[in-house]
Formats: sequence, structure tokens, C-alpha cells
Amino acid sequence: MPYLEVDDLHVGYGQIAALKGVSLSVEKGQLVTLVGANGAGKTTLLRTISGLLRPSRGSVNFDGQRIDAMEAHKIAGTGLVQVPEGRRIFGRLTVSENLELGAFTRNDKAEIMADKERMMTVFPRLKERFRQLAGTLSGGEQQMVATARALMARPKALLMDEPTMGLSPIMVEQVFDTIQTIHAQGVTILLVEQNALMALSVADYGYVLESGHIVLEGQGDALVDDERVRHAYLG
Amino acid sequence: MAVQIPEDRLKIARLSRISIVDVLLWALRIGVLGVVIAGTIGTLINGRYGWTQWVDFVVFGLTLGSIYAQIALGYTMVYGVLRLINFAHGDFMMSGAFSAFFVANAFYRSGFLESHPVPALLCILITSMIVSTAVALLAERFAYRPFRRVVGLAPLICAIGVSFFLQQTFRGMFGSSIRAYPDPSWQRATISFLGIEVQAVELLVIGLAVLFMIGLYLIVQYTKMGKAMRAVAEDGDAAALMGIDVDKVVVFTFMLGGAMAGIAGVFYCFVYKQVYFYMGFTPGIKAFGAAVLGGIGSIPGAVLGGFFLGLVESVGPALFLDGLGIPGPYQLRDVIAFTLLIMVLIFRPNGILGERLGKKRA
Ligand SMILES: Nc1ncnc2c1ncn2[C@@H]1O[C@H](COP(=O)(O)OP(=O)(O)OP(=O)(O)O)[C@@H](O)[C@H]1O
Ligand SMILES: [Mg+2]
Repeated sequence: MPYLEVDDLHVGYGQIAALKGVSLSVEKGQLVTLVGANGAGKTTLLRTISGLLRPSRGSVNFDGQRIDAMEAHKIAGTGLVQVPEGRRIFGRLTVSENLELGAFTRNDKAEIMADKERMMTVFPRLKERFRQLAGTLSGGEQQMVATARALMARPKALLMDEPTMGLSPIMVEQVFDTIQTIHAQGVTILLVEQNALMALSVADYGYVLESGHIVLEGQGDALVDDERVRHAYLG
Repeated sequence: MAVQIPEDRLKIARLSRISIVDVLLWALRIGVLGVVIAGTIGTLINGRYGWTQWVDFVVFGLTLGSIYAQIALGYTMVYGVLRLINFAHGDFMMSGAFSAFFVANAFYRSGFLESHPVPALLCILITSMIVSTAVALLAERFAYRPFRRVVGLAPLICAIGVSFFLQQTFRGMFGSSIRAYPDPSWQRATISFLGIEVQAVELLVIGLAVLFMIGLYLIVQYTKMGKAMRAVAEDGDAAALMGIDVDKVVVFTFMLGGAMAGIAGVFYCFVYKQVYFYMGFTPGIKAFGAAVLGGIGSIPGAVLGGFFLGLVESVGPALFLDGLGIPGPYQLRDVIAFTLLIMVLIFRPNGILGERLGKKRA
């Protein structure tokens, strides 16, 4: 059984169907990318996996447990953590407090402190801004806070929703470096990205979502070479 | 292609934006400001009040202010977390005050209140806090929670319903008469300081209120639940993604607000020496005003707004109205309080420390 498995998922907003039977799976330790145009339903899928939306049909399993009826905070407690679209950091809290909240489900105080220190070495930019309100940081720095906050949970798997949105090319490179580092440390990742070429080239496996359907899937590099993907997403 | 708009058309557009309402509003602002300034100058020239009296006014203002501030904290915290104006919050205070009255009355009859003020006061405070908190938690669980995801006016109407429900329940159980809160001698003691006589109980209220508010600040600022509360206030979904149980945080918020309301209820009894089923309404409305004044959702704002309102109410009549020769200015203290509230909000719609509500949760 795959580590994270989405099966025949249907999700709607009122009468509007956003996901119309999506199935995908992520094996333990894999980095899987999901690409798709604006409005394809990528965010809807991640929000449903995380328990913020309820599916009308279908199931989600994670780590041998069915989670599609679980409350969002309990899903986070199982080790499946999301870095949401638009970062959604707590702007009126300090960087340090943001990181502490990331570790909310943990109780090992000393270890949490150590992890906070570790984040400072992973993201040196945050070090000087530790006591600053997170809302005053630049977009790139806020993305670091969002990622670090999620890592503070010591996640088994990460869902990342467009972590490079609105960032400069240099920052985009940095974010991809970070993602690969996290992946190399054994964290399973499901990555949603607009930068389809970059995302697919680092991924083990990729899915293409279109109007609520998975229309294509395959090995990351194979998808990069696929004529249809090139045409639709890579220009 | 850029469209050319004639210069005179632009001018008309600009002028027509200044409506008659704007003119009236400005007249109102200038008028109120004029009254305040003229009254203040008149009072100061008249010199009817010595500085001992002014100190009296200020101390009483701070006493009222600490009561308003404590109630306002409940409004502002619940608003911050749920975006709900908890109209029944004043009645949480009333519930606590009633329980305080019963405990105090029993102690008074047995003589315990007179002979052992400190343990008696502790018992009264704790009872009131527990009762207010319990009422707040019941209201949250059975009235507000079902409305959690409902948008529009329904949650507010539900809160108004809870308010009526509590008032009528207490009226049904204990009648509609006004009951006198016991008045042992230590509550009437005065302290002389540099020739000024101050009510000891007023200093006690201010001192304890400041202490409790510092306690609240430490909880909200430094405990895990306090941080979670601030996170939920900012972005509930993101907080849930971090593993924070939003329901628990809401319960925690109502607990803190309820406890503060319970303390305020005891202090209200000390100042006004009476309890009745409708007693929560006026201080509730005023504290809500204070919370809005400070910037609803802001904890320091609620404290600031509360003290500001208390001071204006206490100092205002003498300072602004006496100099104008208005008889019986104290009858008008609520008018002053609410006028100033409206004035501040005209100039700063988001309150003193408030931020623009629109930009939250983008
Ligand atoms: N809260 C909502 N209410 C109604 N419809 C919604 C809501 N959120 C999303 N939708 C609709 O659901 C569909 C999928 O939206 P979703 O946000 O999942 O797309 P996305 O793939 O994440 O797009 P993007 O790349 O722009 O982030 C869209 O048609 C969108 O209009
Ligand atoms: Mg999206």
C-alpha cells in the first residue's frame, strides 16, 4: 500500500465540482510533483488531504490510516504537514513564535529548542530576524518561515502548495534547493508547482491535473519530455 | 488609449463627492471639540474643583476603567478568535456578580466578611470567576459552536439571544429586585495620602485588576495555548494545519474572557454595591465600546479603551460640562462617554490600536 494514497476523490464547492475523481499515490520517501493550470484544483486537493475540506466521495489514506474524515489538526498530528498556498504565516507573531507553533503537536521541549536552532542554520537569513514580526519579512523570507514552521513538526510527509509563488528567480532556485535537501533527509513530499519544468525535473514521479481530472502521469523526466506537457505548461 | 476628461468636469466630480453628510459630520466634530474646549477652559477658570477633587475623579475613573478594561478584554479576545461580537458578555459578568453576591451575603451574615476580609474576598473572587467561566463555556458549547461556520448576522443574533436568555433566567430564579451587596467596614475604609482621602476599595480594585491583566498578558504572550490563541486569531485554517485544535483554543478563549468577566463582576459590586438581572447590560455595552475604541481584536487596545472610557466618564462631566454652566453634569456622564467614543471612531474608524479589518485574512 502506498504511503499516501488518494482514491477517486470528489470535492466540490456548493454546486461547483472542483475535483472529479482524482486518484494518485506517493510512495514513502518519494518526491512527487503535481502540476496544472490555474484553477485546475491543486489547492483543493491539498486542502482536502489536510482535512480542511471534506470530500463528497473517495478516500485518502496516509501511513496505513484512513484520514479523509479526520479533523485537520489530527491529520497534522499524524505527521502529514502542509505548507499552504500563499505561505499563511502568522504575521503578527514573531519568527520564533511561528516556529514554536509549528512544533505544536510535539511535547519534547528541549528537542524543540534544538530544532529551532537547527532551522537557523538551514535558513541563516532568519537568524537576525528571529524576534521580528513575521509579517514584516520579505516574501522569500516568509517562505522560509513557512517551510521552517512545517519542518518544526518533524513531518513524515510534506504537502507544499506553490512554494515559489511570487519569488525572484534566485529565490526560486533556493527554494528548490531546500526542497531537495528536505527530500534527501527522507521526508516524503507532494509538491504542487507552477514552475512545471523545474518541479518535474527534480521529481521522482509527476501528475498533471486539468479541470479536476488527472490527465497524465509518469516519471518526472519522462513528463518533461512529453509533447503535451511541453505544449501546455512549458511554453 | 487615454481618455481626455475636461478639467471642469473633474472639478465637479471632486466637489460632488463632498456631500451634505460630510459637511454635517465636520460641523459635528468641530462643534463637539468646541464644547469640550470651551467647557474645559470655563471649568479651569472657575476653579470650582480643588486638586483633591480632581484626584478623586481620576481615581474613580481608573476604578471604572479597570472594570471596563476587564470586560472589554473578553469582547476583544472572542472577537479576535471567532470574529463574533459576543453580545452576552456583559451577562457573563452579571452571572458572576450574582454568585459573588450570594457568597458575600452569607459571609456577611456570619460575620466572616467583616472579620476576615482577605480569605472572604478570595472566596468571592474565585466563586465569581468559576460561575462566569462556566456560563461562558456553556454558551460557547451550546449556543455559539453550532453557528461557528455560519456567515452573516445569525451568530450575532444568537449572541443577543444568549444575552436575553441569561437575563431572564436570572430574573426568573432570583426576581427582578435590586439587591444590596453587603458593605462591611473594610469596604468603606479610606486611605489618606498627602492630604488626599482615597477609597481603599478603589485602590484595591485598580491594583487587583492590573495584576490580573498582567497575568492575562503573560498567559497570552508566553504559554503554548496563548500563542495558539494568537495564531487562531490571525488564521484559523493555518493554525489547524499546524496541529492546533481550534475548538480547544476557542474554549480556552472563552475561559479567559469568562474569568476576567467574573472578576469584573466582583469589582462592579464593590463600586455600585448592588446586583440585579439587568446589571450586565450597560457595562457590557460600554466595555464593547471600549474594545472598539481601542481597536477590536487588540488586547492592549481593550485595556487602553477601558481606562480611557472610565476616565472620560469620571472626569468628563466636571471638566467639560461644569464650565458651561450645565446643571447636574453627572447625569450626563454616559452621554459624554458615548459622544467621545463616537468622536474617536469618526477620526479613527479602526480604533486607537486597531488595524484595517479589510486587510486581515487576505
Ligand atoms: N472557496 C471556493 N469557493 C468556490 N469555488 C472555489 C473555491 N476555491 C476554489 N474554487 C474553485 O475550484 C476550482 C479549483 O480551485 P483551486 O484553488 O483548487 O485551483 P488551483 O489549481 O490551486 O489554482 P491555482 O494554480 O490558481 O492556485 C477553481 O475553479 C476555483 O474557482
Ligand atoms: Mg492553488
